[in-house]
Amino acid sequence: MRGPLITNHIRQLRSDHNDMTQQELADSVGVTRQTINAIELEKYSPSLEVAFKIAAVFKMPLEKVFQYRG
Amino acid sequence: MSFREKSTWVTFVLLLVMFVIYFSKAFFVLHGHSDGSPVPGVSLFGLFWLLVAGFVVVEIVVHILLASFSPKEANAPLDEREKLIAMKSTQPAFYVLLVGAFLSIGTIHLRTDAFHLAHSVLFIIWIAELVRYGMQLFYFRRGV
Repeated sequence: MRGPLITNHIRQLRSDHNDMTQQELADSVGVTRQTINAIELEKYSPSLEVAFKIAAVFKMPLEKVFQYRG
Repeated sequence: MSFREKSTWVTFVLLLVMFVIYFSKAFFVLHGHSDGSPVPGVSLFGLFWLLVAGFVVVEIVVHILLASFSPKEANAPLDEREKLIAMKSTQPAFYVLLVGAFLSIGTIHLRTDAFHLAHSVLFIIWIAELVRYGMQLFYFRRGV
């Protein structure tokens, strides 16, 4: 069975940003903590809007945060 | 477990319990006891509204309690993942409802009365709602 098509480094990036919590990231982006957790565990692929917002929080380009394994 | 997931569990379990009680009574009224003995007069109408009232009261009380433990989550609007879960769960429930509605119409050919028809429709609405909430719980756990 194929894994998720969209992977990410959010957990690592949170850790690199003063151990930012999932709740802090969720509040910055405007989603629930459970949604951030689901994105990190690659159980949910966010919309483009949320993906851009997450990348903006880390001040990184989108492709450095999310990768597409097509 | 998030507030939404707890809320969904509460509604799922309450729906299950409420209609198991109702349909177990309704079954005896509709079909009688297996030994052929007469069924004592049971007011299904009264029982139904009693269970609906109980359902509403328990839902309100439990949700107030749940919200008091996580007020921020309870007041937050659905985010995109939660909206997607709600949407994807409604789809299979709709198909259950659609097929069930046609089957209920089909019972007319069995010369059933309005009482049977109403209960077959009520039964299928119940199953469709269980499917909807059950699928939500599935997507909350497995991911969507």
